[in-house]
Amino acid sequence: MTATATKAATTLSLVGGTHRTVPLELRERLAFSAEQAAAALVAFRERFPGREGVLLSTCNRVEFYAAGEHEAAAPPAEELVAFLAECRGLDPGRLAGVLTRQADEAVVKHLFSVASGLDSMVLGEPQILGQVKQAWSLARDNGTSGPLTGGMFQAALRTAKRVASETAIGRERTSIPSVAVADFAAAVFEQFDDKRILLIGAGKMAAETLRYLRAGGARDVTVVNRTASRAVELAARLGARPGSFAELAAELVAADLVVSTTGASELVVPLSLFERIERARGGRPLVVLDLAVPRDFDPAIGERPGVWLYSVDDLAAACNANRHSRKREMPAALAIIEEETLRFMTDVHHRATAPVIEQLRAGWSETGDLELERLFRRLPDLAETERVEIRQAFERYAAKLLHPPLVSLRSESQSGPPLGLLDALRRLFQLRE
Amino acid sequence: MTTFLSGISIVCFVASYAVALGCEASRLVFRSGVRGMVMVGFAAAGLVAHTLFLGWRAVSESTVPLSSPFDWYLLAAWLLAAGYLWLALTNPRTPVGLFLLPVVLALVGAAVLASREPFLQSPAAQVWARIHGSFNLAFSVSVALGAVAGMMWLIQAGRLTRKQPPLKGFRMPSLERLALVTHRTLGVAAWTAVAGFVSGIVLNAVKLPESVPWTDPVVMRMGMVVAWLVVADGVTLATRRRPGGDRIAAWLSVASLMVLAGSITWGLIAPTRHGVPAAAIQAGMPEVSP
Repeated sequence: MTATATKAATTLSLVGGTHRTVPLELRERLAFSAEQAAAALVAFRERFPGREGVLLSTCNRVEFYAAGEHEAAAPPAEELVAFLAECRGLDPGRLAGVLTRQADEAVVKHLFSVASGLDSMVLGEPQILGQVKQAWSLARDNGTSGPLTGGMFQAALRTAKRVASETAIGRERTSIPSVAVADFAAAVFEQFDDKRILLIGAGKMAAETLRYLRAGGARDVTVVNRTASRAVELAARLGARPGSFAELAAELVAADLVVSTTGASELVVPLSLFERIERARGGRPLVVLDLAVPRDFDPAIGERPGVWLYSVDDLAAACNANRHSRKREMPAALAIIEEETLRFMTDVHHRATAPVIEQLRAGWSETGDLELERLFRRLPDLAETERVEIRQAFERYAAKLLHPPLVSLRSESQSGPPLGLLDALRRLFQLRE
Repeated sequence: MTTFLSGISIVCFVASYAVALGCEASRLVFRSGVRGMVMVGFAAAGLVAHTLFLGWRAVSESTVPLSSPFDWYLLAAWLLAAGYLWLALTNPRTPVGLFLLPVVLALVGAAVLASREPFLQSPAAQVWARIHGSFNLAFSVSVALGAVAGMMWLIQAGRLTRKQPPLKGFRMPSLERLALVTHRTLGVAAWTAVAGFVSGIVLNAVKLPESVPWTDPVVMRMGMVVAWLVVADGVTLATRRRPGGDRIAAWLSVASLMVLAGSITWGLIAPTRHGVPAAAIQAGMPEVSP
């Protein structure tokens, strides 16, 4: 076996860090804005001509995917670490200690997992797919994405779509506001556009919950707060109507859905208050999302008919159940990633056979043409149609001879670059390297 | 064509509905991308076979769909199956078939046990008989739909009370929509049942002197069903604006189906003069069940 044959012709390389491996303080300094990422790609193109590169930078990860073929193989991992450190003005030694390095098949598998949300902080979250698309698009725009990274990112998007459609890994919601609205409030009310929403307090989850309610059509929103000026300010920020905390009882009578997030240390709505207003509500269902800690609503109110009261703990338990449900889908998702990785790597390995096949085909074609010319000189009376027939028969014969080695190369490509076969072909048919 | 149509049997559409029901039940076990198509395909095939079966009977037996207890039950099942198909197409993620298809299959089962003898011969009585049969059909279908909505309300409310996330593949409509359906169907059921009973009294008067006595089991059980539905609707209306009114309506809807099922079972086993042709009674032929 020659020295060239022992070396894979195509290389993929990855250097990067995520929320699991890089401390937040360093991750913040390592992160790239869109402009910085574009500048880094331009610098990569100049530093490593002929190589491909894609930079994925999100709040939870910074990863650089590099690829190359033949003489222009992907840069070694240490060079990529140094390049990233230079781009962000960081100490390469410090980065080298926290960034992970992967090569070839592991790079593909990792990218497919990332695009499918399997490597995210919240398992199965779909936003990462958009970020992967953007990273690839930026690389294309800056001329650093070529056939290898293009094929790999295209396959990653296909894999992510398969994981999303063939498993339930991204179906169940896992944030408290989204679970509160989609799994509970929407199970009570058909629509929110004819419902009156009451926000009590200004906790951080109020705005997030309201965002989901607005997406569901909620229009009539009232904000009450112990401090009237704060209620006015909040209402203006959230596009809601300010209400008076002194008239909380009346607001509760009118409300269909209450989101309570005060910082009060005692109950804001005790059972006695609710009992006083219960009759005036006329039996209308009431959904209460008590997202305050400690709770704002007396838990006994949840026992009243027509009241659906959920505390942070109730919703967190539902979120956890959904997370477990997502985890149960992992084996199915991983099986898809394995399958797609094998498919992509087979294609990549098969690419390495192209020059040999091309030489083989060209050699046979040249020999065939010489033989045909000699034959036609000996048989000058042949009609043009007969010459065409004979030429086509020669071409069919060559294609049929070439078919078995092509099938063998394809089959061998599934387990890695078919270097042995390529070497044998070169030696048997005296092809140049 | 005639051979093809006459070859369609009850087994054809019962088997199709059963497969669709099996597909609905499999939602609880595994996910599938093609299940929806298979389910709708079998339900549609069943409905087509069901329609052709009823159509062929109308042509070959020179009868109309409501002319015998057998046809009446099959038409009620057809209406519910058509409703199921529509809901499966418009709300593919809601497992409504899990509740509705058993009722469809039960009605087909009742049809198999019921008499195939035509109800009446007299043209004057036939008009009232059709009105009577149509109202009874309307209230029975309403009761079935209301009970399905009521059951779904109770399951959804149970899940919300236990504060659990929705089961995978088992997403129910909102309580608001289900409550609306239970309230409306109970109202429709009560008033069409009253109309059916009143039209039955008129029918009885029209075909005198061979009228059905007030003590006939069918008259008694129908009277009880009508009374139950009117009371249930009254209770629902009275409690609608009170806390827990929707839960009461859901329970009453489910109970109404139980009452109707009990009434049908009673009707299948008790002898009666209801719906028996006068000529048959005069000839001393045995009485039939409706």
